[in-house]
Amino acid sequence: MFYLGISAYYHDSSVALIDDEGSLVDFKKEEWLSRIKGDKTFPRLALQELINSFSLSDENIKFITFYEKPVRSWISVLKHSIKNNPLSNDLTRNYFKNAWNSSMRFQMDLSKYIKIKKIPILYSDHHLSHTLSTLYYYNDFPYVSVVVDGYGDKYCTSIHHVKSNKEIINLWNSEYPNSLGLFYSAITDFLGFSINEGEYKVMGLASFGQPKYYENLKKTIKFEDNKLITDTKYYDYIRRTDRSFSDQLTNLFEIEPRLPDISLEIGEKKFQVYADIAASAQKVLEELLFSIFQYAYNLTKEKKFLFSGGVAMNSAAVRKCSKLKFINQLNISPSSGDSGAAIGASYFGFLSEKKNNNFVSKNNIKNSLYPGKFKPEGNFLEFGFDKIADADTSLNETSILIANNEIIATCYGNIETGPRALGHRSLICNAHNSDLVKKLSTEIKKRSLFIPTAPTILKEYAEKYFYLENSLMNCYMHMTATATPKAEVMKNIRGVVHIDNTSRIQICNETHLLGKILSNLKKFDIYLIANTSFNISSDPMVYDEIDAVVALHKMKIKYLLTENGLFKKKFEIKV
Amino acid sequence: MSYIPHSPREGKDLLGTLNEFAYAEYGSFLEILALAKKAKSSRRKFGFIKHALDEYRHSSLFFKILSNQAKRGVGKFKREYRYFPQNVIIKGYVDKEGFLIEKLSLKKLLEFVYANELMVKETFDRLKKINSIIQDEESINILNSIMKDELDHHGQAKKLYEIKFPDSKLQFALKKERIKRNFRLINFHNIKFLNKIFDLIINFFISCFGKIINLITVPDSKNENLMTLDPQSVI
Repeated sequence: MFYLGISAYYHDSSVALIDDEGSLVDFKKEEWLSRIKGDKTFPRLALQELINSFSLSDENIKFITFYEKPVRSWISVLKHSIKNNPLSNDLTRNYFKNAWNSSMRFQMDLSKYIKIKKIPILYSDHHLSHTLSTLYYYNDFPYVSVVVDGYGDKYCTSIHHVKSNKEIINLWNSEYPNSLGLFYSAITDFLGFSINEGEYKVMGLASFGQPKYYENLKKTIKFEDNKLITDTKYYDYIRRTDRSFSDQLTNLFEIEPRLPDISLEIGEKKFQVYADIAASAQKVLEELLFSIFQYAYNLTKEKKFLFSGGVAMNSAAVRKCSKLKFINQLNISPSSGDSGAAIGASYFGFLSEKKNNNFVSKNNIKNSLYPGKFKPEGNFLEFGFDKIADADTSLNETSILIANNEIIATCYGNIETGPRALGHRSLICNAHNSDLVKKLSTEIKKRSLFIPTAPTILKEYAEKYFYLENSLMNCYMHMTATATPKAEVMKNIRGVVHIDNTSRIQICNETHLLGKILSNLKKFDIYLIANTSFNISSDPMVYDEIDAVVALHKMKIKYLLTENGLFKKKFEIKV
Repeated sequence: MSYIPHSPREGKDLLGTLNEFAYAEYGSFLEILALAKKAKSSRRKFGFIKHALDEYRHSSLFFKILSNQAKRGVGKFKREYRYFPQNVIIKGYVDKEGFLIEKLSLKKLLEFVYANELMVKETFDRLKKINSIIQDEESINILNSIMKDELDHHGQAKKLYEIKFPDSKLQFALKKERIKRNFRLINFHNIKFLNKIFDLIINFFISCFGKIINLITVPDSKNENLMTLDPQSVI
């Protein structure tokens, strides 16, 4: 029997499938298949893939769990808007108009693909789905779980006490509109980046600035008397649908919001002011997280933390939180945003079946990074590519090319669950060559220079190159936290070190694809590879070989590593 | 190859039109990519990939023209022109229920491509004629190169159609697509008016049900074991 989890309608729709033994056997984001970044529509393509791969039907699905309670989610914001805005307000009207496109149509959409008469449909609490999506990977309670996101099911922040996987107590929440996630999104919007997509750019930009606006900005959102309070006069997300910040926030910064879609480059006229705003927002976010983590500790006295929700993707803040003296362990899932909540939802269905309170599944972060049944398409690549190495020699050849300062794209086996490339859908090159890393980031990926590129390193060398936090050792396996490089190696890896002297590292072992390549690279004195996701910045991650071919031509990359071998492009298509 | 956006009325909303074209081309990229994934032969897969990349390039170029005009201070650059991939669904250039290849037979699909690639070229011609705003050489060259590609695609679809369905008549398909397009344009040009009516209805609903909604209590789960909440409740 299988347990299906679905997340949809808000952003990054996805499906997850857990089997009888509690193992995550597949996870798919709709954007990988529809090729529309952040696709939030019902994940029909992803679901169809699961149905085909596992012959799913009403005979072998035990539960289908949706990641939130649809009516509660819809009604909470609407109630707030009706109470606080005039009746003709944009947001209220939008909520009414879009009721039909909201998660309330979940069962109707689902029934187009699966006969649901015989399958119980469950609805997990939104923040519980986040907690469970992290707990799935780290089954070793008790924990305190901190969930921080924009909004979901009435709440924007939660503290859960995870006593066992059958006893998760909701201890504290901040209700809409008091939201740390929406605060950071509003700043993202002000700085001209897309909400739910550009937050990582704000984080990268922050390192270039000074928190000059911190004193002003911290007045707009604060943690006081154990409550998170947003001063909504600065934020229009409670009033409007077309922007998240208000004129009051513009007045606070004394600068116009940045126009979207015009690139922001280091050194240009207003770059420093926008970087200072980003730095101020990052500082406010971090300080508020410290307060919430402190409060979570006060409530539970637990020193092992789970952290989830979109804000947990802020790897710079994660590192600082991990230094709080009461934290022994800070665990984050590889996909801590809403798409990963599908994993929590399917796990909810699975746990609902278990009668044993102390059941501990065999899941762990090491065996669940690449779930799925991806089948390479095989021979079609040879029409447009020369096969330069078979599967058994391809990794060795890849290492030689990397040593010769080539950039290699990978489309190898199952795809990573989270937004970070962990080798299977990556662009990789020699991290000791900073010019090459710069070329990879700016010329090939078309990213601004203020967005850093991450390194991958073998476990045996990690401590030689970086100061590691014990509490974050799990996070380093999937690039959800940053580390500080040691001074003596800094010069040698400058290309993968951000301006704030941190790197969002991935530590892997020799059984991992990148681990095998790194093992081969030792003989060339290469110990780190630069590793970034295989996509142009506004596209979803490459999913299959067709996407890989398209992306290779868009990015003008020559080499592709697949399970079938190493390929070199025969010709260029004009893009 | 996707549905063709409206062309601007003289001198009006040029940036909005460019924005629509950019998404229409992006929609075409996605549709052709879906075709490439379904194609059986390697040669055809690569043929579709090349076509898809043309459409992708067009989309990027329209965004570039848009950005050029914005930088030159032409028109009022609206925040909604920000690139947002999901607009391709919201604006209707890709149907969330399925790509054309999932909904149409090969014959209907080729008819669609043949007719729409030709109509898009005609729309560009009109755009160029009435447009007195796009003056920078780079943008003009971009438009010319896109027009050439669209004619190529039209020709390729015609050729493939004639090989696959030698007894069918394409002119009939073109007329049918023109009629469909005219209906879409009528709908587009009246959308603001229709929205106003719709808003009146919505306002009526809000005034009727707003107070009732306010009376609904959303349950609070504080201090509860979340694993024991009613899992079948939607609230």
